[in-house]
Amino acid sequence: MKALLITLSLSLIILLAHAQTTISGILTTKKGNPLAKANLSIKNSYDGTTTDNNGRFSFTTTETGNHILQFSAFNYETDSIRIELKNTPVTVNFSLKEAVNELETVGISAGYIIAGDGKKGAVLTSLDIATTAGANADIFAAQQTMPGTQAAFSENGLFVRGGTAAETKTYFDGMLVKSPFNATVPDQASRGRLSAFLFKGTSFSSGGYSAQYGQALSSALILESKDLPEKTTTGISLLTVGTGIDQNIRFKNSAFTIGGYYYNLKPIYHIIKQENEYVKAPEQLGANIHYKWKTSASGMFKVYAAYSATKLAVFRKDADHPDSAVYFSNHNSNVYINSTYKEYLGNQWKIEAGFSYNRDKDQGILTADDYTRQDHLSQGKITLTNYFGRLSDWKTGAETFNTGRRESLNGQYRSYQDQLSAAFAESDLFLTSKLVLRLGGRAEYSSYLANYNLAPRTSIGIKTGGTAQVSFAYGRFFQNPEDEYLVLQKLNYERADHYILKYEINPNERNFRIEGYYKNYRQLTREESGKLNNSGSGYAKGFEVFWKDKKSIRNADYYISYSFLDTRRIFRDFPVMATPSFAAKHTATAVYKHFINSLQTQVGGTYSFASGRPYVNPNSTIYLSDRTKNYNSLSLTLSHLTHILGQFTVLYVNANNVTGFQNIYGYQYSSDGMNRRAIVPGAKRDLIVGLLMTIGDNTFVR
Amino acid sequence: MLSFLLLINLSSYAQTSTDKFKIGMLKGLEELQKANQPDEFLKTANYFERVAQAESKQWLPAYYAAYANLMTGLMGSDKKVQDQYFDKALQQIVQADALAANNSEILALKGYIQFMKMSIDPQARLSLMAESSASLGKAKALNPDNPRIYLINGQNIFYTPEAFGGGKAKAKPILENAVAKFAIFKAATDLDPIWGAERAKTLLAQCK
Repeated sequence: MKALLITLSLSLIILLAHAQTTISGILTTKKGNPLAKANLSIKNSYDGTTTDNNGRFSFTTTETGNHILQFSAFNYETDSIRIELKNTPVTVNFSLKEAVNELETVGISAGYIIAGDGKKGAVLTSLDIATTAGANADIFAAQQTMPGTQAAFSENGLFVRGGTAAETKTYFDGMLVKSPFNATVPDQASRGRLSAFLFKGTSFSSGGYSAQYGQALSSALILESKDLPEKTTTGISLLTVGTGIDQNIRFKNSAFTIGGYYYNLKPIYHIIKQENEYVKAPEQLGANIHYKWKTSASGMFKVYAAYSATKLAVFRKDADHPDSAVYFSNHNSNVYINSTYKEYLGNQWKIEAGFSYNRDKDQGILTADDYTRQDHLSQGKITLTNYFGRLSDWKTGAETFNTGRRESLNGQYRSYQDQLSAAFAESDLFLTSKLVLRLGGRAEYSSYLANYNLAPRTSIGIKTGGTAQVSFAYGRFFQNPEDEYLVLQKLNYERADHYILKYEINPNERNFRIEGYYKNYRQLTREESGKLNNSGSGYAKGFEVFWKDKKSIRNADYYISYSFLDTRRIFRDFPVMATPSFAAKHTATAVYKHFINSLQTQVGGTYSFASGRPYVNPNSTIYLSDRTKNYNSLSLTLSHLTHILGQFTVLYVNANNVTGFQNIYGYQYSSDGMNRRAIVPGAKRDLIVGLLMTIGDNTFVR
Repeated sequence: MLSFLLLINLSSYAQTSTDKFKIGMLKGLEELQKANQPDEFLKTANYFERVAQAESKQWLPAYYAAYANLMTGLMGSDKKVQDQYFDKALQQIVQADALAANNSEILALKGYIQFMKMSIDPQARLSLMAESSASLGKAKALNPDNPRIYLINGQNIFYTPEAFGGGKAKAKPILENAVAKFAIFKAATDLDPIWGAERAKTLLAQCK
C-alpha cells in the first residue's frame, strides 16, 4: 500500500513536473536590436521572466491552454501575443515598438527656447531667475540672458529680434498683462511688477508662437503660476532696498497667500551715486493676495490680486538744458487681478476660463506741466481643448479685451476705448511620434480700428534621430499700434510675418540649438509731417546659438547664447529705412552657476556683451549711422544658505557691473545739434544685499 | 494512508488562491533577500510586478515591486535611467496605496521614493522634498512604531546638505531611534515588510 502511495505521489509529481511548458526566444526592438531588462509575463499568472542583456529569455510555466504573453520595457510600448500552452516548448521571437516618450517625442519648438526640462520646457524656473547674476530675481532681466533678446537698460521691456519692447507681450496664466513694469524715470529700465516666485515656470518665445496669443508682433513671455504650496509658511525678506512679508496658509484643498512689501531706494541712493539727482527716490508700497483652490482631482481655480503705489521725483539731465536739470515726478498706482479656472472633463476634454483686470494710473509733473495717464484692460477668455489619438489635440477659444487710455496735459484730456474680440483654433497633429504638424489661426476685430485681421500660424517638427529635432514655423502676427498713437487717432493693425528654422539636440542634461529667422514687418505706425499713418515697414533677420550644460562640471551649470541681428525699418519718425537704436548687431551672454557644498553657497556670474548701438546724430548725413561703443557687463551673485534663529535663511548678494565698464546706451542731442548727453545706466555699479527667511519649512519658500 | 491524505490535502491546499499567493510571495521575498546587484533587484521587481498584476486586490506585491524598483534605481549611475526606475516605483506605490489606504508602510516607502526622485534634480524638484516629509509624517501618524519611517527620515537628513537642515549630526538621533525601533519590531505576518534594520545600523555607524 505504502509503495503504491509513493508511486502514486511520485507519478503525480512527475505529472506536475511534466505539465510545464518552456517558452523561450529573443525580444528585440523594431530595428532588430536586442531588448534587455524587459519584463515578460503570462497574463494573470506569476509566470514570466526578465530578458538578459542579449534580449534572450527562457522560462517555464505550469499554465496550459490559451494565454496572453505580455512584454513590457522602459521606453517601449507594452505589447502581447496569444500563445497556446500544451506541454511542448514554445519559441517566441518578438519585437517592441518604441514608446512615445515625452522627451523623445518631437515637439512644437521653433521660436521656443527649451532648456531640456521636458517637452513643455520651463525655460527658467523661479530659482533659475533668482540665481542668475545681474537679474536680481527680476523675470525680465533674467530673460535678457536668453538668445534673441537685447541687453536693454535704458528702456523697459524685452527687445526681441529687432522688435520694439511693445512687441513683446506678457501672459499670466494665458491672460495678457497690460502694464507689467513698474513706474520709472525716462531713460531708465525698471523691474517687472510680478515676482518671479509667483511662477513655476516662464517660457519665452522669440517668434512663431501659438494662435492663442495675440496682440504681440515679436515675442510672448508666458508665465505659469505655481499650484498649491505644500505647507503653511511665512516668508520674510530684508533687503537693502526694502522689506517684504508673505504668509502662506495651506488648507486641505486650497491655499491662501497674503503678502505686502515696502521698498525705498533712498538709503541705497545715498551710498551708490546716481546719474540723476533724486528729489524723491523711488518709494513703493504694495500688497497682494493669492487664493488657489483645487476643485477636484484635476480642477484648479486661482485668483491673484495685487495693488501697488509708487512715488518718485527727479531732476534729470537734458541736452537742451545742459546747465539746468529738468524736473520730473510720478505717482503711480496699479491694480491687477487675474482669475483662472481649469478642469478636465473626462480624459478627452479640458476647459479653461479666465478673467483679468489691469488698471495703471500715472500722474505727475514733467518740466512744469501737469500730466495724468490711465491705462486699463479687462479680459475674458475661454478655451476648450480636445485630446485625441495618442498625442494630438485641437483647441479652440475666444477672448475679448476692453482696453484704452485716458491722458491729460495741464487739464486737457484725450482718450480712446477699444473693444477687441478674438477667436482662435489650433491643432497639434502628431502624424507619427517623430513628426508633428501644428495648424492654427486667429481672427480679431477691433471696434476702435473698425477692422478685422486674420492670422494663420503653422509649425512643423521632425525628430531626426536620438534627441535631435528640426523645426520650422511660419506665422502672421498683428497688434494694435501703441496707446500713445491710438490716443491721437484711429490707425490700422501693425503686422509681422515670421519664418523660423531651428535645429536642436538635447542629450542628457545638455542642450544645443541654432535658430535662424526672417521677419517681415508691414503697416507699422509712421509719423510723416506731423500725421500718423500705417505706411511703415521693415525686416529683421538673423540667427542665434544657445548651449546649456548641466553635466560637465559637477555642481555647476552654465549656458552661453549668441545672437546675430540684421534689421532695418522705417517707422515712428524715421525719415528713411534704418537700423533702430535698440538693435545691436551682436549680442552674447554667458551665465555660470556653481554650488559649493562645503560653503553651502551658490555663486554665479553673468557676462553680457553687445556691439555698438545706432544713435541719431543730427550732424551726420546718414540717419542712425553712428554707433556707440560696445557694451560689456560682468555681474556676480552669491547666495549663502544658513539658519538664523533656527529658520532657513538665504543671504543674498548681487553686484552688477563689478568691473565698472563705462556703458553708453546712446546719445541725446539738443535740438540745435550743438550739445549731446550720453544716456547711461542709473548708476555705474549696483549692489543689493538681502536676507530671505522662511519660517515653517526647511526649504526656500516664496 | 495518512501521507496520501496529506498529499491530497497539500496539493488541494496549494490550489487555493491564498496559499498560491503566500507561496508566490515567499518565493519573491527570498529572492529579494538574496539580491544585491541591480540586475537581481530588477528581476525581483519584475517578478513582483507579475504577481501584482495577477493579484489585483493585494497591496504587498505592488509594494515590493516598488521597493525593488527603487533599489534598482538607487544602484544605477545614469540619472535618466534612475529616474525611470523611481517613476515606476512611485507608480507602483501609488497603486499599493489605492489598494490599502492609510497604510504606514506604504506611505513610508512613498516618502523614500519621493526623496530619491527629488535628488535627481534638486533645484527643479525642491517641492518633492516637502512631499516626502508629508508622506513620512502621515506614515508616522498612522504607526509611530514603524521603524522604517525613522530609517528613511534619518537617511534623508543624512544625505541632505547641512545648509538645507540636514547632515550627519542631525541624522544621528533619528537613526538611533530607528535602530531601537527595529530591535523591538515584529511584523504582523511573514509577508509584511521587515527590511531596513541593517541599513539603519550601517548609516548610524557612519554618523560616529
